[in-house]
Amino acid sequence: MVTSSASDRSEADYDGPALAIRAEALSKVYGRTTALHELSLEIPEGQFFGLLGPNGSGKTTAIHLLTTLIRPTSGQARVAGYDILRKGVAVRGEIGLVFQEPALDPNLSVEETLEFAGALRSLPKQLCRQRSDELLELFEIGHKRAERVAILSGGMKRALDLARSVLHRPRILFLDEPTLGLDLPNRRKIWDYIGRLRRERGTTVLLSTHYLEEAEDCDRVSFLANGKMIGSGRPYELVAGLGNQIVELEGENLDRALALLSPRLGPCLRAGERALFRLPDEPLDVEGFLGEAVDGLRSVRKRRSTLSDVFLWATHPDLGEDILR
Amino acid sequence: MMLLPVWAVIRRDLVRMVRQRGRLLSAFVRPLIWFVVIGSGIGVLLEPAGPGAYHRYLVPGVVAMTILFGSMLVALSVVYDKEFGVMRLLITAPLPHYWIVLAKIVSGVVTALVQAGVLLLFFFIFGFVTEQTSVSLLLAGLVGTALTCATLGMLVAVWTSTLDNFAVVMNFVIFPVFFLSGALYPVKGLPDALRLVAMINPFTYGVDLLKHAILGVEAPIAGADFGVATDIAVLCGFTLLAGFIACLRFSHEERAGLHEFLRGRK
Repeated sequence: MVTSSASDRSEADYDGPALAIRAEALSKVYGRTTALHELSLEIPEGQFFGLLGPNGSGKTTAIHLLTTLIRPTSGQARVAGYDILRKGVAVRGEIGLVFQEPALDPNLSVEETLEFAGALRSLPKQLCRQRSDELLELFEIGHKRAERVAILSGGMKRALDLARSVLHRPRILFLDEPTLGLDLPNRRKIWDYIGRLRRERGTTVLLSTHYLEEAEDCDRVSFLANGKMIGSGRPYELVAGLGNQIVELEGENLDRALALLSPRLGPCLRAGERALFRLPDEPLDVEGFLGEAVDGLRSVRKRRSTLSDVFLWATHPDLGEDILR
Repeated sequence: MMLLPVWAVIRRDLVRMVRQRGRLLSAFVRPLIWFVVIGSGIGVLLEPAGPGAYHRYLVPGVVAMTILFGSMLVALSVVYDKEFGVMRLLITAPLPHYWIVLAKIVSGVVTALVQAGVLLLFFFIFGFVTEQTSVSLLLAGLVGTALTCATLGMLVAVWTSTLDNFAVVMNFVIFPVFFLSGALYPVKGLPDALRLVAMINPFTYGVDLLKHAILGVEAPIAGADFGVATDIAVLCGFTLLAGFIACLRFSHEERAGLHEFLRGRK
């Protein structure tokens, strides 16, 4: 057996590092709105876990509960082995957090921002400076260290915010939509760094995102919709479960084609002038199968299915149930 | 210990104080405008009391005003922090949440004392504050008033969620607190209803203690309204009570966190 790191802790309230995060029936109710309904999670140390769902599905609420920013209405959870209700301070000592919006003071300089973040976590000044230098170089914002945060670009702000969140080398990193509004090169830079953290330090990462393509590298993902977990699994298994290919039809008059295909391929997802079918692994020449019905269509495409497809099918009110167990 | 995080909070507020030029400038111009304009205007009416008498009477009130604005604005910057997300940084730091309230109060006190110190130096140079000033009473008055104002500001801030309410706070907290104290006139001379309000206002006792310190026994026009012991007791009592309530209200933790703190356990 491989033994887990960080086993040299001996506090009475600490009960082992087996799971980085364990949540049991966590719920949060605001008035008459249930933001999160009985979420249960088991995330082992070192896992890259994705919490996926559209805006307003409860992802951020789940992260705020696990990071002790808000208190659950019911349920319980342990993060890094500590109870989130009774040992909030200890939990906060072990985690790093990147929020949807960067948490930066525009009045401070880049350097001061990291100094402030380090001091809030009682990081010795020397160590803080050394790590700041490394991180600023890594994110290529070393030349901006004396500049005010207010003048940084969106990508630089996000990089600084990420640097701030890992300055104290957290065991568990929570990323709440970390790449929201960023362009591709900046997104890639951030994902490269997170990959490195996982390889080199075995950091557990909990990612929430609605860019589902970013979650394809996750070890495991869970889908949330309307505050409820509707399913989870390994990304490639979920995609395989859906069927590895998708047929996409586009056209003003889809009815004839759909009537032909449905008996063969099962139900479809339809939105306006587009319809999606799951394609079983046996090969099918769709255009040949449709014959003359093709004439009414603008395009017929076959493509690999993705996590986004899994999510679209899973959240469909009628079709969802058999996609995710 | 929580010294490093508390110092981080204080240093950030000091840096912001210096960087926000407009705020820094108004911190010094505001009291001087009051001193010159109100002092001269009302001073004319009180000519018989001697030239410059009302100006000298106004010094403690204007110093207290600097403290009131300085510390309240720092405490209320918590509301800015809530809107800009910096508050999330503070509440995800590994320290009990009431430490943030305490750190902000200390920060407000330090900022206010820096500003009041500069103003006092100015008054000293121009002879409005003399060597007869009691240094120990002055220090007690400055610190007591700053603590009271910072805590009052924190009490308002923990109940204020957006900046929209900021003007409301200005109009319904800062101005009444200033006008309904002994800063501009003796509390004794006020009509009954207003005197009652002034006596409930903790800021009154801060101004009063500063009057004891700066005006001393041979006070121009009028001296202090209450005893030194009363002033100190009210300032300390208010700071402790309001600070406790602000901590309770702000703390996202289980109440046990605060109980542990009060019992002195880690």
